[in-house]
Amino acid sequence: MKSIKYILVSGLLLLSLSLSAQHQSSMRINEILVTNTSDFQDDFGQHNGWLELFNTSYGTVDVGGCFLSNDRNNLKMYIIPKGDVLTKIKPRQHILFWADNQPYRGTFHTNFTLAESDTLFFISSDGRTIIDAIAIPKDLGENKSYGRIQDGIGSITGDGEGYAYLDRTSPSTNNYGVDAETKSMIMAKTDPHGSIMSLTAMSVVFLALIILAIIFTYVGKLSVRKMQKTSDATAVGKDESKPAAKVSEVSSETFAAIALALHLYSVENETHDDESFAITMTHTDRTYSPWSSKIYGLRQTPQIKK
Amino acid sequence: MENIIQNLGQFWEYTGFANANYQYILMIAIGLGFLYLGIKKEWEPMLLVPIGFGIIIGNIPLFPGLQVGVYEEGSVLNILYQGVRQGFYPPLIFMGIGAMTDFSALISNPKLLLIGAAAQFGIFGAYALALLIGFTPAEAGAIGIIGGADGPTAIFLSSRLAPDLMGAIAVSAYSYMALVPVIQPPIMRLLTTKKERVIRMKPPRTVSPTEKKIFPIIGFLCTAFIVPSGIPLLGMLFFGNLIKESGVTRRLANTASGPLIDIVTILIGITVGCSTQADKFLQLKSVEIFGLGALSFMIATCGGVLFVKFFNLFLKEGNKINPLIGNAGVSAVPDSARVSNIEGLKYDPKNYLLMHAMGPNVAGVIGSAVAAGILLGFLS
Repeated sequence: MKSIKYILVSGLLLLSLSLSAQHQSSMRINEILVTNTSDFQDDFGQHNGWLELFNTSYGTVDVGGCFLSNDRNNLKMYIIPKGDVLTKIKPRQHILFWADNQPYRGTFHTNFTLAESDTLFFISSDGRTIIDAIAIPKDLGENKSYGRIQDGIGSITGDGEGYAYLDRTSPSTNNYGVDAETKSMIMAKTDPHGSIMSLTAMSVVFLALIILAIIFTYVGKLSVRKMQKTSDATAVGKDESKPAAKVSEVSSETFAAIALALHLYSVENETHDDESFAITMTHTDRTYSPWSSKIYGLRQTPQIKK
Repeated sequence: MENIIQNLGQFWEYTGFANANYQYILMIAIGLGFLYLGIKKEWEPMLLVPIGFGIIIGNIPLFPGLQVGVYEEGSVLNILYQGVRQGFYPPLIFMGIGAMTDFSALISNPKLLLIGAAAQFGIFGAYALALLIGFTPAEAGAIGIIGGADGPTAIFLSSRLAPDLMGAIAVSAYSYMALVPVIQPPIMRLLTTKKERVIRMKPPRTVSPTEKKIFPIIGFLCTAFIVPSGIPLLGMLFFGNLIKESGVTRRLANTASGPLIDIVTILIGITVGCSTQADKFLQLKSVEIFGLGALSFMIATCGGVLFVKFFNLFLKEGNKINPLIGNAGVSAVPDSARVSNIEGLKYDPKNYLLMHAMGPNVAGVIGSAVAAGILLGFLS
């Protein structure tokens, strides 16, 4: 019994470890700026190079314990401190590190600086697994950033696929955003006259309503068949104890026709007598009537019979 | 004494007289025009009266910073306007419409659904025209939806695609809905022959309560799976209809089709009116939107009528559809169906088309919500 418990606990531990590793593997180097002379300042008012990580997953990832490095031979160059709540990156969010070689300034200040032609590595908490790498172009220039065209999308081997020189720096925010092409802008390019859009949309509208029409054509047929069955059964008198066809199944036109026929018949044959009485709302002298008795209008309290 | 004069001078600065210009006066005149049409002519009074008065409220010249204008964040009008801006009034109205609508005519003759689809040509015709005169695709989509003849849908879509144009689009949509009896008949007469106008249609069959109950469920599943972006409108429309037809939620149906829709109609009307502040509304774009709106209504009417004529080519004698109900494919319920009936009676005093026209009319509501979902999916 004990051994099963151990197996279960160790299994859960392994699972949690693998999940944690899997979460860390969702992190990506998203954008880097090497030479900062007039771009964003850090909390100390300094212009320094920076690197941005992005959490591609839909769960929170703790990067505490992971490593950053610009040296393949020393992957454990900068360990991101553990236990800092700020290292827990929320789903699809960014985190910024200042590459200023001043680690005593806080969790987000690395112990190395970036230089053009460096390769930047993001390493798992095991200190060996390279989660992401990117080679910094040698002609990046001042205040220019290099990053993924779309957040988190592209190569993780450092070959630069999916990366580009970005039009504007965007530390801690989306690389594509206000400047990115909206669907409307793409549509303006691909379908300037609206013909493709119109044809597609009309086809979809017709498709949706044709499907609905087909379904209800068959539902209608079934319903009519069921109604006919009910009325046939009533007409033949198979089961006289059953009431006639439901009122709702008889059309209002039928009622109108019956009423008109009866009216004409009674008028033509003068079969309709004038009644000698009238229904009124006049108060009567009778003090009690079952019509006005409250007893009949109240619910009887159920009594338990023993 | 000097202080009093100073205060009075300051007070004068706050008054509408000091801040007025010809644009505000023009907009107030337009608001009064709406009130005249709504009260005196009784053209869509439920809409034109709140919108008309809203236009007047929104165009009282204000000293900026008083926190009373519809565009001033945190003001009462601004808070009420969020229902339009964020698009939560239109789905509530759709729930009320669903709770008021009887889909029997459509269920008894499902092919009428196709007329509701055909009338959506108005939306995409106007979309193409709007692109042609320089609107962006998102703006063109928001303008095109005017052709769906559905105010709440127009507001919902424009709040998502072109918030800056929403005032003009909403006012245009509601104005043309009020003008359905003026716009549609000449087009209907132009596109039909005398012989076609007197076609008598089979009386609709009786629809069982079960069919009525399953229609909103299947209707929603069919349309929402194809166009998920239309869920807010379609979901509320079919939900409203389900609570009506289920027979067990009468109180909910009564609330949705009565007090709730009335409250939201008041709020949507007054806030849309307020949003037509002169500086935002009086632009060349607004004039273009009104022009395109009229065209989209015309194209939608043509689309519906011509589709019925085309459809008749494939129908047997006795099953043919009177093309005068084609106009009802636009979802101005029940005005466009009423127009079909009136026109039909002109040519055959015993040919009542109202029940038949209600089919495409309610199909138009579904069709325009589907079309709005598609535009939202492609352009937002």
